[in-house]
Amino acid sequence: MSGKDIKILELIKVSLGYNKVIYSDINASASSTEMIAVVGANGMGKSTLLRSISGILKYHKGAVNIMGKRIESYSPANLAQQVTFVPSQSPRARDLSLFDMVATGCYNRSNWIGNISKEDRSLILETLVKVGLKGFEKRDSSRLSDGEFQRAAIARSLVQNSQIILLDEPTAFLDIANKIIITNLLKEIAVTEKKTVIFSTHDLMQALKLCDKIWVMGHTRFFEGEPGDLIEKGAFDQMFKDSSLKFDSKLVTFI
Amino acid sequence: MKKERSYHTKYILIFASLLIFTILNLVLGSIILPIGDIFNAITGGDAPRVVSDILFSLRIPKAITALLAGAALSVCGLQMQTLFRNPLADPYILGISSGAGLGVAIFLMGFSAFGITIPSTLFSNIGIAASAWIGAFSVTLLILLVSSRLKDNISLLIFGIMLGSVIGAIISLLQYFSASNDLKIFVIWTMGSFSVLSPIKIWIMFILIVIGFALSVYNIKDLNALLMGEAYAKSLGVNMESTRRRILIATTLLAGSVTAFCGPIGFIGIAVPHIARLVFRNADHKVLLPATAFLGASIMIFADTVAQLPGHSGVIPINTVSALIGVPVILFIILKSRFI
Repeated sequence: MSGKDIKILELIKVSLGYNKVIYSDINASASSTEMIAVVGANGMGKSTLLRSISGILKYHKGAVNIMGKRIESYSPANLAQQVTFVPSQSPRARDLSLFDMVATGCYNRSNWIGNISKEDRSLILETLVKVGLKGFEKRDSSRLSDGEFQRAAIARSLVQNSQIILLDEPTAFLDIANKIIITNLLKEIAVTEKKTVIFSTHDLMQALKLCDKIWVMGHTRFFEGEPGDLIEKGAFDQMFKDSSLKFDSKLVTFI
Repeated sequence: MKKERSYHTKYILIFASLLIFTILNLVLGSIILPIGDIFNAITGGDAPRVVSDILFSLRIPKAITALLAGAALSVCGLQMQTLFRNPLADPYILGISSGAGLGVAIFLMGFSAFGITIPSTLFSNIGIAASAWIGAFSVTLLILLVSSRLKDNISLLIFGIMLGSVIGAIISLLQYFSASNDLKIFVIWTMGSFSVLSPIKIWIMFILIVIGFALSVYNIKDLNALLMGEAYAKSLGVNMESTRRRILIATTLLAGSVTAFCGPIGFIGIAVPHIARLVFRNADHKVLLPATAFLGASIMIFADTVAQLPGHSGVIPINTVSALIGVPVILFIILKSRFI
């Protein structure tokens, strides 16, 4: 896991969809410490892409390789050690304490009935501090605010300790303050924990500011690149069907 | 720590209610047995012959059956509700009870329709249990086959409900063409009863249910992982296919066996897990599963005591009593729209 040359994640000519192809010809890759935003219009398949990389959905054609191995060759337990997925809105379980919710991240390491080790217990408490939920461990997770719940979900993915963290619109239901807190938290995780963080978002401006790379699910084709390069290439002009929407590279916004 | 102590108190209360209802169940009935005589008879002391006869050949077997059935149906309902993330899921929602019903219907009414008569009494009793079990098990097998092709649990739930309706239609057809005598036996079976099972049948039921419980306890870890939905569970590393299979097999062992020997008993499977959630306010199945089992046993034996109509010789069908207890709970759930 040293250096950026190891391809932690590689997508080769991937077509999304199960019976019907909904998006095709995706070529992309990711390394450690990278934060990548997936952008695109509604219905382009951002969520499907993330779910396909996490092994939750099957994809149609091509290859998704994780650590140089086809995703299909992993068992569910081994895959969970490499990739974790945070759904955009997981159903909430009433009377599930925040501690127990985060502890589900230890699924692969806990014993047959789900009891976790002392080390994991302190790891969970440390992680809660890291995401800013110190002292919340006994709270009912179903009564957390959206921002707190999202932080708890991120804590769970950290406790799971997989290399790649995929998040489906982690900031979609948050106010501006929480949006910034969560995105900064993700950036910090990518850098200090050397994780690969990939998330979908509609907030292009913030993605341009913070992300190392952006995957654009454009209307005509898929783009991968660093923010500056993509602006130069005019990749963002392809984002919407409506061709009158142009991306202004000087103002860094749509006009 | 404080929380754990309050769990102990709650468990002690459940055990106490279990004990009290069981003693009441042994005492009350068409003849009221003095509690001292019951104690003497059980501990091998001096008790009137009549008391020990009634106790050992009637009341104790019936009480054991009721306790097992209540615990089994409730644990089964808990697992279904978590698997399908549906507060109204119960042991029978997948058509398991319809399958058992179809087995019994074919046995009782199908054969006579083709002119085959079944020698009654003993053979027909075992026949009913066996055909119910085969029916329940075939439905589960069918669901297992289909479940790998369905993409999520909601589709599976819909499939189960549809299957139940189709089987219901076939049973109606059989009823329409059957002789009135066979029809009567079938209708009585559908009312549910704990009326005395032979020791061998109780043993069979006991063993199947114990295996079902063991598997359910093994499912606890996955049930907890499933609390926040399937996508979430998969991302934790849960092997959904094998988990779903294990939960379905445990469900059939539990609900299938109860239905085979006691008939389809409704409402307990839905209601008891919710009562356990209300009492313990903890979603962790390590707490909920044992609580549900003991609460289920306790409520079932209470229902059976009521069904015996103390002081009368008649018996109300157990399904009537379980509905009277279960329906208010279900309405409460709907009105408060509790989610799991």
